[in-house]
Amino acid sequence: MSADPADREPVADGGAADEPDPTVEMAEQAGREEPDLDRGIVEAWAAKMISNPDRAYRATFYVATFFFLVTTLFPFYWLLVVALTPRNNLSEVGVFLPAGFNPAAFIDIFTTLPFHRYVFNSFLIATVATVAVLLVGSLAGYVFGRLRFRGRNAMLLLVLVTSFFPPAAFFIPLNRLFNTNVDVLRPLLSAGSLYNTPYAIFIPLSAIFLPLSIFILMTFYSQIPDGLEDAARVEGTTRLGALFRVIVPLSAPGVATAGVLTFISVYNEYFFSSLMTDGRPQNWAPMLEGILRFQGEFEVLYNLMAAASIVAVLPVAILVVVAQEKIVSGLTTGAVKE
Amino acid sequence: MSLTDSLPFVEFGAPFLQQALFVTLAFAILSVVFETLIGFGQALVLDQDFYGRRWVRVSIIIPWAIPIVIQGMIFFLIFNPTIGFGTEFMQSIGVFGETPLASSDDSFLIVLVADIWKTTAFMALLILAGLQSIDRGLYDVAKVSGASPWQRFKYITLPLVAPALLVAMLFRTMDAMRIYGLIDATAGCETVPSLTCLVIIALQESRRWATASAVAFLTAVVISGFVVVYLLALRNSDGGVA
Repeated sequence: MSADPADREPVADGGAADEPDPTVEMAEQAGREEPDLDRGIVEAWAAKMISNPDRAYRATFYVATFFFLVTTLFPFYWLLVVALTPRNNLSEVGVFLPAGFNPAAFIDIFTTLPFHRYVFNSFLIATVATVAVLLVGSLAGYVFGRLRFRGRNAMLLLVLVTSFFPPAAFFIPLNRLFNTNVDVLRPLLSAGSLYNTPYAIFIPLSAIFLPLSIFILMTFYSQIPDGLEDAARVEGTTRLGALFRVIVPLSAPGVATAGVLTFISVYNEYFFSSLMTDGRPQNWAPMLEGILRFQGEFEVLYNLMAAASIVAVLPVAILVVVAQEKIVSGLTTGAVKE
Repeated sequence: MSLTDSLPFVEFGAPFLQQALFVTLAFAILSVVFETLIGFGQALVLDQDFYGRRWVRVSIIIPWAIPIVIQGMIFFLIFNPTIGFGTEFMQSIGVFGETPLASSDDSFLIVLVADIWKTTAFMALLILAGLQSIDRGLYDVAKVSGASPWQRFKYITLPLVAPALLVAMLFRTMDAMRIYGLIDATAGCETVPSLTCLVIIALQESRRWATASAVAFLTAVVISGFVVVYLLALRNSDGGVA
């Protein structure tokens, strides 16, 4: 399956545009040969559609595309409208235009709250989780993708089964565990428990998003020819050496896909992120706590909430624009080949 | 709340649990149906070749990559009675009351729309994968035989994309059954109680570990019920997923 289908032949309706279709010409002539019919604009349009159905399909396509673009992008635009409206005018904010112009909201979010710290926490947790998932996923992907052994399918199924359970089921034991004081951890963590540390978010999220990466990496690693690995082994490297020096570099697109998907998933996650810290930035509260915190005790700073949302969306939005092909190919290999 | 403190912890007669079960099931079924239909439409658009396709694809994917809290925030603001335009509009067509985010019915609709906005893109991507694995030669043959685009869709696209469609629906149903973050960020768990909401309420308000575990387990059971149904449907569909 090719990642980018742009090089494919045009489908359904593209054909008529390239080569003059005889039926189209006939239909057009027929249209010109009945001048005595006095038609209104709509009637004429409908007649054209009937004589040439491809036109109707084409029109439907453009209308649908336009509709999808408006519905997906308009909420972001409106978020910007709210962010730019000064706080006192918020009740007059329009649907399309802000009531006033106050770009200072994008600076206020960093002075009212240490919002940069929240975003940094999220960013760091997502990055560390991505590295950990890629490392463990590579080992598992190598084993499942390149080795034949008894019980392989059963174990693979077991990996898949973990993703059937709701996070709430994992949360209960983890919450107890992370709130327990463990003396061993005292030199590392002042409180001795994992609550209010980045580990409390990073550990469960890495585990939950690991199966998808294992499937993606397994698919890519299994496609590397055995001869390349054998050559590396003959040269004297270990299995691990062959994995990280030969197989991983050759599967770079797959590794990038798994990485991008994991990063976005961890950065966007709500459940564990909202429950594993007390919400203070110095206690590693992630970005979502920062946004909700603008809902203060005395007044709700709607324009700052909107501005903070826009700032927090930027990392993932940039990632989507840069890596969209990887995301598409990753979801397709991850899901369809399971 | 009428969850019990002793065995069996959860009683089906308890109104709050019935409510949560109903909300979760209704949400899962409605959201998956609408996301499948709209996602199919988006996938058909993305499957065409046209100028600017790359940017249309980015625009359609982008809601999927939005953090849940921001998705919630957008719809929280849209349906906020003082600043959002959503409440006024919905009132003018007579659907919503004064404060939609405080009423269970209105909030359910808001959560549903917010979820459809974000996750339709995910469906579209998985269905697109199915569409692109279809052999293009089949369409040429159909065209030569004089099949209309609608016939090509009905007799080629739909049957061949069915396995991918079912897998995508399975993933979405599993995910929709765990809805929590979106509710927490918009209407709140008291207004629209889902099963996961119930777990958190039981834990945070009354520290009932056993009750919370029982509800979490119940969620897993309901999800596995859906999984079995989908797997049976997948087995019956001709293509099969290797």
